Amino acid sequence: MAAKRPRRAMPSVTSTPVMVMVLYVADGGPNSIQAQANLDLICKEHLNGNFLLEVVDVLQFPKRALADGIVVTPSLAKSSPAPAVRIAGNLSDQGSVLRALGITAKNP
Amino acid sequence: MKQRTSGSPQSAPRAVPERSFEKTILRLVKGGPERMALEARQIDAIVDPASGSAILLPEAQQALLGRGAGRAEPIAIAYDWSWIQDESARFISHTIATPAAARLSDQAILGKALWDLGIDNLHDADWQAHRQQIAWRAPFRDLELRRRDRDGKIHHLAVSGEPLFDEQNRFKGYRGIVRRMAAARRIELHLLEHRRYSQRALDGLAIPVCLLDAAGIVMLANRAWHGALGGPAGYGLDAREGDDYVAACLAARGDAAIDGAPAAAGIRQVIAAERQHFRYGPAQASGPGGIWIELDARTIADGGRARAIVTLRDVTREKSAEKLLTLELAVARRLAEAAERDSGLQAVIQAICLSQSWECGRFLRRDTSAGVLRQVAAWGLSREAIQQFLDKSHGLVLRQDAGLAGRVVDSGQPVWSHDAAFDSAGSSMALPPEAGVAGSIFFPALHDGQTLGVFAFSSPGVGEPDERMLHTLRSIGEQVGLFLQRMTALEGLRRSASHYRKLTEISSDWHWEQDRDYRFTRIDGSGPFGARSALGLTHWELPDVVPLDPQWAEHRTRLAARWSFCDVEFSAIDSIGNRHRYLISGEPVYDDAGLFAGYRGTGLEVGIRRKDAALGDDDATR
Repeated sequence: MAAKRPRRAMPSVTSTPVMVMVLYVADGGPNSIQAQANLDLICKEHLNGNFLLEVVDVLQFPKRALADGIVVTPSLAKSSPAPAVRIAGNLSDQGSVLRALGITAKNP
Repeated sequence: MKQRTSGSPQSAPRAVPERSFEKTILRLVKGGPERMALEARQIDAIVDPASGSAILLPEAQQALLGRGAGRAEPIAIAYDWSWIQDESARFISHTIATPAAARLSDQAILGKALWDLGIDNLHDADWQAHRQQIAWRAPFRDLELRRRDRDGKIHHLAVSGEPLFDEQNRFKGYRGIVRRMAAARRIELHLLEHRRYSQRALDGLAIPVCLLDAAGIVMLANRAWHGALGGPAGYGLDAREGDDYVAACLAARGDAAIDGAPAAAGIRQVIAAERQHFRYGPAQASGPGGIWIELDARTIADGGRARAIVTLRDVTREKSAEKLLTLELAVARRLAEAAERDSGLQAVIQAICLSQSWECGRFLRRDTSAGVLRQVAAWGLSREAIQQFLDKSHGLVLRQDAGLAGRVVDSGQPVWSHDAAFDSAGSSMALPPEAGVAGSIFFPALHDGQTLGVFAFSSPGVGEPDERMLHTLRSIGEQVGLFLQRMTALEGLRRSASHYRKLTEISSDWHWEQDRDYRFTRIDGSGPFGARSALGLTHWELPDVVPLDPQWAEHRTRLAARWSFCDVEFSAIDSIGNRHRYLISGEPVYDDAGLFAGYRGTGLEVGIRRKDAALGDDDATR
């Protein structure tokens, strides 16, 4: 059984809407671990704490995934702000992920 | 914010042997992005909608097994013995890890599968789910078992296992551990088992039952309760486990079929043990044909949390039987009160319609000589379509062998139809479509096995009658048959009396009637005295009657004995002195109750002797 790892929320400091996401993983799976790491990086670099993220382990809660229409893990689902988006895979292509989430990449 | 989900874990993940992997995955993954991610080897697991399980892909599976091996050391500390099974899930080895486990472990388990070990707390469905896990090569955790040791002592155990694969990824069986469960968990399981037992016991009852706690919350409700739809509002039938039953009763107050407030008050008293038993109703569910429900609540003594048991009893059959019995009595009363045939029949039709909520009915009297049925009485609701139909069918005459009515005449048995149009014998028997009538029923009025007439009722509520209803229809049919026979006999009597009067008018000079004190109440025809002056007098009190006391005394004795008399002679002297001789005859009259009501009879003048004639000679004799 996967251990619970509650994550601390960063308070929102901007007026942009909070991004609400759910990451569906198979806890311990290599791609799932990678997806979490990639998403952590994106959140840190581009969202500045202005997000809510829920991680669902489908090995423990497969019906939750089914109810949300998730077929493969890892998958990332963004529900807010609109439009809703789903991204399958380990999120290694950061550019594609940012575009899909509607995040404009910061200039270096 | 980042957080984990909460709630109960679902079924365990399963690992798919590589051979069938491709097919399974391709069947499940249909979306383009998902397929692309799959082809890029970025996927760990697939969620199977059919089974509700997650299927681990081989690489992820290996990674998880590797993690499991890494955790083996701390797990080993926590178990009582370990085991290994072969590919057929049969135990091939077991190792005792703690002294306490020695009592539980048994070499006899070798060669057997888990489900062969006499585990008494798992049922067929549980084992089926477990075997499915094995078939999918899925790990399983904390399968809770109850087993007796060699001394018969019960132990609660938790069994966990994971599949074994060789280097070629071939399934080789399972390995796992057994732990004795903590006391708290054992108690929890015991309570769960107890609740399951209670639930099954309640589910075995056909009537809706629920248990309430001290706050009126539904603790347990049986299957019949959950399936009891369509009951009257105010009985709280929509309350489920965890709901406030008393509040559910009260919520129906006002616009409900019954007022839920008294029900709620009564149940509160039962819960508080202020009264042992409370019964409420019955009440009928709204809508045509709604069932009748009676609520019954009883205090539970020493029931732990449970304070009251509420049962709901379907008393529709009893209510229906009661209503039909009332109808039979009402029909008997209407017939007894009826002075005329047709008005009596109409009263019966009305009583039946009102009792059964039928819209209209008619009675067709059988005319055997003409071979027809004639409508002689009808009654219907004051709806325009119904009244128009009854107006049109006034005086209806049908062949006695036609349609449903004809079948009733022929068989002497009730017949019914769900579709009024079925009576193809004539649209005259079927209501028009605009009347909105869907069914009809016909039944006979019988006397001595002869059909004297046919009742025809039409209404949307008319359907196939049950046995009790048929009994009532037969009873009413027989009552009406007797009534018709009585009316026919009375009619005959009336005709006979009329005929008798006509005859007596020919053979006598006057006809008379007396009350029970022998005083004239009526005199028709000519007599020796004016009718007006004689009314209220007896024969022997008539003016100018020659007093012959011994004769009248003998006559009065006969009257007192209620005897008929014939040609009793008496004389009277008229105003000019002539003496007239009369003969009177009479018979006693009784009322419907059989009580003496007086006499009636005839009088005839048989001779006259002039005043100047010698005594004893009549100069004129009739």
